Amino acid sequence: MSAVNVAVIGAGRMAQVMSQVLLAGGGRVSVFSRRGMVRKALKEQLKKVHIVDSVEEACHHAHVVVLAVPAPDMPEAAASYAPFAQPDHIVIHACRGVAAGLVLPHQAIRNQTCVRKIVALGGPLYAEKLAKDRPMVAVAASRFADANERVRKLVEGTPVRLHGVSDVVGVEIAGAISNVSALAVGMSDALQLGDTARGVLLTRGLSEATRLGVRMGAELATFSGLAGVGDLIPRTVSSTKRHHDVGAQLSDGKTLAEALKSVTGSVEGVVTAQEVAAKTEKMGLRLPLVQGIAGILSGRLHVQQTLEDLLRLDLELEKESLAAGR
Amino acid sequence: MRQEDQERILTELQSRILHRITAQAAAKGPPLEEVLADSIYHELRRLKDEADGRAHREAGAFWAEARKALPRGNERAIQSLLARAIDRYSREIAGYFDERVYRTVTRAGEPVLAMLLGATSPKRLAANFPSMPQLSDNLVVQGETEHLRRLHEVGTVLLVPTHVSHMDSVITGYVVWKLGLPPFLYGAGLNLFSNPLLGYFMRNLGAYTVDRKKADPLYKEVLKEYATLTLENGYDNIFFPGGTRSRSGAVEKRLKYGLMGTGIPAYINNLKQKKNKSKVFIVPATLSYQLVLEAETLMDDFLKEVGKSRYIITDDEFSRPRRVFEFAQQVFSLDSKIFFTLGRGMDPFGNPVDDHGESLDPHGRHIDASRYVLVDGEPRELPQRDAEYTREVGERVMDAYARDNVVQATNITARAILTLLRKQNPGMDLVRLIRAGGRSEDMELLAVYREVETIMRQLRGMADRGGIRLSPTTQRGGADEIVAEGLRHFAIYHTTPAVSRRGDRVFPTDRSLLFYYQNRLEGYRLEREDALRPALSADHRALGRGAA
Repeated sequence: MSAVNVAVIGAGRMAQVMSQVLLAGGGRVSVFSRRGMVRKALKEQLKKVHIVDSVEEACHHAHVVVLAVPAPDMPEAAASYAPFAQPDHIVIHACRGVAAGLVLPHQAIRNQTCVRKIVALGGPLYAEKLAKDRPMVAVAASRFADANERVRKLVEGTPVRLHGVSDVVGVEIAGAISNVSALAVGMSDALQLGDTARGVLLTRGLSEATRLGVRMGAELATFSGLAGVGDLIPRTVSSTKRHHDVGAQLSDGKTLAEALKSVTGSVEGVVTAQEVAAKTEKMGLRLPLVQGIAGILSGRLHVQQTLEDLLRLDLELEKESLAAGR
Repeated sequence: MRQEDQERILTELQSRILHRITAQAAAKGPPLEEVLADSIYHELRRLKDEADGRAHREAGAFWAEARKALPRGNERAIQSLLARAIDRYSREIAGYFDERVYRTVTRAGEPVLAMLLGATSPKRLAANFPSMPQLSDNLVVQGETEHLRRLHEVGTVLLVPTHVSHMDSVITGYVVWKLGLPPFLYGAGLNLFSNPLLGYFMRNLGAYTVDRKKADPLYKEVLKEYATLTLENGYDNIFFPGGTRSRSGAVEKRLKYGLMGTGIPAYINNLKQKKNKSKVFIVPATLSYQLVLEAETLMDDFLKEVGKSRYIITDDEFSRPRRVFEFAQQVFSLDSKIFFTLGRGMDPFGNPVDDHGESLDPHGRHIDASRYVLVDGEPRELPQRDAEYTREVGERVMDAYARDNVVQATNITARAILTLLRKQNPGMDLVRLIRAGGRSEDMELLAVYREVETIMRQLRGMADRGGIRLSPTTQRGGADEIVAEGLRHFAIYHTTPAVSRRGDRVFPTDRSLLFYYQNRLEGYRLEREDALRPALSADHRALGRGAA
């Protein structure tokens, strides 16, 4: 078979790394970024990829399209791609968040385009590690087994090993809520609440992700797999994540705007916490961690008090709510 | 189906399935003798449980012979036995359609078609002819009628209606005729053919036979292939994707994708053969009744414990001509309307199509749907992929059902009364409340009016946003008019009225019927304001699963 044509839309860190991996897998990669300056910089960095001037040009003859944008921007990115989308395209994203109205990334893509074969990457997929060529394992979630297979083949011969699963909703929610947990852990670490607190917060985050996920149609097993638990373990080790930093700064008394300004790249967990909290309150679903973090982000709640409340909460709650949520 | 097409289709069907199972056997699938052994096992087991008869004896002889031949048959003999088995199945399914009969029936027009509703004997028909209920006065066909005609011109249509009653097939057939379209083929349960007159007309109005008692996988494959082939050959079809009549009365929330998925292989085969009219369209239709002929039997079945429900009901109201006739006469005497709402068509991948049958993306731009089925540039079937496409279609179909469901006065009256009953008996399990009744039963008429007003506020808002449809009374009438119409209907036809009124008080008399009629409003989250859990899912999720 001839080389696979890949279009990458967006030019953040994830887009760059994905371009490199797909290139290494033998794909012909075209990248489009909205900002002209970024396009120029990219042209110098990535010699072998085609940096193009429009979405249309990127998608011309494409087989696979990577929408490498943060989750809140997904509806807009999908809409700009929609006129050039084709029914046989495979669309990949690696979002870890949701868009306004608790719209999951694959839903945003589906709502805007004719594409059905959507692949969500999840699990411990960290751009930093990818860039360093270390072997790494991640999850590729798609309802379409042939799409998963195609993407798996695309990264053959690279350090990336993909496990195909079918639970798109579960993988997306696990990734989104883990960013909210990272915010909480960042706050807790800055307040020096200790490792136990961190463990409780991460467990609670996963449990809330599970409840929300199951309510939205995800499979329970996803959350104890690579995209759920598997994603939390490396994250607790590396404490350099943007979300962690933003959380820590909020604990130190900075405003959200100040904290966000100090990190480069998107902090999807902020929008995610707020959107999930707003929607689940309407649904009558109790997610104390997500709702608490949302309260802190909006300035309604005090950091230390909220975390202490969270740590005191009865853990039995998870069991009951899981039963009710199903 | 035209006779010349029939023979061609049956030959093609046999060769396709034989080819498929031989190819599967070669690719480490089940060997041919295993496929045959499976058929023999399922068929002999079915025949053991079934009543004796000519067809029964003949089938028994065939399968007994096959069993005898199996152990010492060479591959050729086994192949020939399989070919005969496929032929038996496909001939039973296809039956015989006589175009002359169809022309006679349709030329005679409404009285004869209306009689089909009654499914009565000619004698009874003659005796009652002057007062024969006229279906056309009581049936409102609305929605995308012109769109359906257009789609029929440019491709093949798969009409997928909601299903609560056996009357659905008759009414759907009538609507097709009324729109001036040639008859659509549809699968009808074998038991419905047992009424000789009805069976005769059904066959000749396009019905083919589905025997749900046949558990043989080969039979199911033949059935699916038959449906695929008819679509490929340009015969429009009707499938009820709910699989069976809704037991709870609720709009379908779970569909069976087997037959609905045949649109994709039919389309792919057409693409391979480069046919001009290659497209297949799925068109949802939603039927809404004030009263349902079989409500009592269906609800009774629903309320049985998990696992005990009868998937196939052979002895219900539809098989009793007198009940059907009473139903038609009484319901139509109240100027009761049956709504038949046609939705927009879609391609087999869940995209809407325009009047020319062109697939559209969410922004209304044309897309080339054939690219959904390409594998390395060629159209090809991929079972897992195609099942996903069909699931997507199913979701769009269910959206259409929810939007096009026409709320009638009986639904609202039943819901209001049942809600009050639940509020009057707090903490009481719904199943117990329905079976045994509550501590406090009757209620003030005025309280019912207030409850109806609350429901109507929500429903009218929802209808304005296009989320549901309302009948003329429920759209414009006051609470008193809606309740009056509801009570008028509940007073007739059913053995025990669901509810009766004495002075200014209302007495629920058949709570399970109230439950049945209110279930049409399930899934719209109306209970949010009452702080009650949804009636159907609160206590009946498990039951519903058993009756799915």
